[in-house]
Amino acid sequence: MSDFILNLIHRPELVPEYSATVNGQDVSDQGILTESLDIFKTQQRLAHENGLRTTIQMTYSSLFNEEAVELAKHDHEVYGDEIALSLLGLPCEQFREKYKTRDFCIWMFSMEDKKTIVDDVFGTFYEKFGFWPKSTGSYYMDAPLLNYIKEKYPEVECAIATCWEEGPKAYHTCNNSWYTLFDGGPWAPWIPSKQNTHAPAANAEEDCGIVAIPHLSRDLLACYDGNGSNFGTHPQNVLRGMIYDSKTWDFPYLYNLIDQYRDLEKYNNGYAYNMMFVGPGWMNKMGRWEAPYELLLKSYTDGCRYYGELKKQGKLIDMTMSEFAAWYRKKKSYTEPECALWRDILYGSDKQLFWYCDPYMRAGINMDQGGALFDLRPYAAKLFWPVGIGTKHVQDCSYPFLIQEKYRAGYFTHYAGEGTIKSAKVRYAGEEADFCQFRTKAHFSEERVENEGKSAEGSKRILTLDPCEFVLGGKTFTLQTKITFEEGSGRIRYDRALLSADDPDAEVEIDEYMVACYGTTEYPEDMTGITLTLEENGEPEEVVHYEYKDRKIARSGAHAAAVIPAIGTRVSMEADGAEGYIREGHAFSPMFTLGQKKSIKAGEVFTTWLSLEKAD
Amino acid sequence: MAQSGKGRLNYRCPSCFLRDLDIDMFYDKEKDEYYCMRCQYHSNEAEILRWNEIIRLRYGAMAKRFDKFDFD
Repeated sequence: MSDFILNLIHRPELVPEYSATVNGQDVSDQGILTESLDIFKTQQRLAHENGLRTTIQMTYSSLFNEEAVELAKHDHEVYGDEIALSLLGLPCEQFREKYKTRDFCIWMFSMEDKKTIVDDVFGTFYEKFGFWPKSTGSYYMDAPLLNYIKEKYPEVECAIATCWEEGPKAYHTCNNSWYTLFDGGPWAPWIPSKQNTHAPAANAEEDCGIVAIPHLSRDLLACYDGNGSNFGTHPQNVLRGMIYDSKTWDFPYLYNLIDQYRDLEKYNNGYAYNMMFVGPGWMNKMGRWEAPYELLLKSYTDGCRYYGELKKQGKLIDMTMSEFAAWYRKKKSYTEPECALWRDILYGSDKQLFWYCDPYMRAGINMDQGGALFDLRPYAAKLFWPVGIGTKHVQDCSYPFLIQEKYRAGYFTHYAGEGTIKSAKVRYAGEEADFCQFRTKAHFSEERVENEGKSAEGSKRILTLDPCEFVLGGKTFTLQTKITFEEGSGRIRYDRALLSADDPDAEVEIDEYMVACYGTTEYPEDMTGITLTLEENGEPEEVVHYEYKDRKIARSGAHAAAVIPAIGTRVSMEADGAEGYIREGHAFSPMFTLGQKKSIKAGEVFTTWLSLEKAD
Repeated sequence: MAQSGKGRLNYRCPSCFLRDLDIDMFYDKEKDEYYCMRCQYHSNEAEILRWNEIIRLRYGAMAKRFDKFDFD
């Protein structure tokens, strides 16, 4: 039995966040107030006509509007909608008069102001409704903010806490003026740790007490190398991307996106999830960019209709946010990962990625590059990264990467140096090729361990890739990659099997390597302070303190490791009976490389492990 | 020199869109053309609509309905 859960969320945002800037309208304009409430009513009507319940996220401004409050109460009584509280939609006359600022993103305020604003907004909500909300949210909510809300308002069970891969790419798309910098988080619901919202809790001690959901369910391929706000379960975002037929106004991509999310239940113990949350600014009567109002309305109508049809067919369960939080806690263990084997559904390339997220890492595998690891976030470090005014990161909420193939190249670089990627080179008779040169496909399997009906530590999620034929020195070698994620371990195992060779006695050298650095943006960070080591029996035998000197050291039987103090992370590569090596980078290639090399014959397998830990 | 403003619909610059930039264009009544404030793109409405179709060429599977999402 599989469950596809939908959270459909609306907010009566009486001053749509785009109205003042895009349309040049005054925030106190009575026309905007009336139109915005009409949009909210339309959204609610479309949901209810299709048999869908919603979560109504009251905005601060809407709490001062009697009609909006009464509408919420009515729809709660009649349709069973949940009345919740958003920390979006702060801008309004009352807010600006009280706080004397045009700032409006809750995560960017100082911690002192966050507390004051939260207390004000929650208190006003209580005055209007006589109860505390069970759900809240924003585009991003940092850990200290979530912790404060849970401590002060323990009734809160669920929060919208990030937008997947909305980072420098979104900033760039908005002419470097939209400061939502939150790459590196989960794409599906999770329980944030008390230390870092993006990093899931590994146990009850780390649990912040709130189930987080992402803002929208986004295309796990298109968003990684494009504007995230074009490719999500937000019909008007699809229009923003111009992903519709301009003559017929058809947009099958939205339905493909929803259906691919439904398909993810295969990898997640029969569970899949969608979130749709369209702010009223996207259904503006003036139209939005090229799209006239009629098209905006059609897209939302069709989106609600599709979800409604799925519900009627018994293929979708609509829940409110707090209902979902309770359901999620019963369904998932802390260590159970979220997995997504994802194909391109937009560009026609058949490219395939695999995403893995658990309390120890977020990892992306690219089958178009032979199973290369192209994105790696070391959640094991549970990096404490407060954001907002008064911190080191006023705007930058991203969880740092060790590998990010777009911001730090990947396999392909111009002229010199390396980009971040984990792959393997194969050498024979003086020739070399890399798994990154192979376009292959993966097949998913599981070895399941359960505890009280939930996935437990020791469970394995396995990708078995179609074999690759290397031609080196005039001979053909067929190699197959198997990648195993072991639940609760913080480790990734790579098996490279030489299935066959023209010459059964021929030995090929497998050079399993990881090129990494750290950062959150496209620009390099200072690598000084990083330590590279070769270790035997847990003891460092060779140590390199990063000085951009391009040094390389190898040692038989050694484990290769790096400690990156700036992000509190230790990463290592281990193998049995191999030669470990470390390589420092240089100023034109500010990376480090960890590697393991071994020669194998047909029928043999070279196994390596990549491990992530919190640095001491 | 006439003051520019937004047009009937709020077109974005197609040239910037192709490099993942959403930039609103302004409309010049005197020349009956839209122009980008960031790059050098300028054209009339019909030409913008033609460019917008070029943008869609990148979406090779835009019109396709998928019913299978793995390669098993």
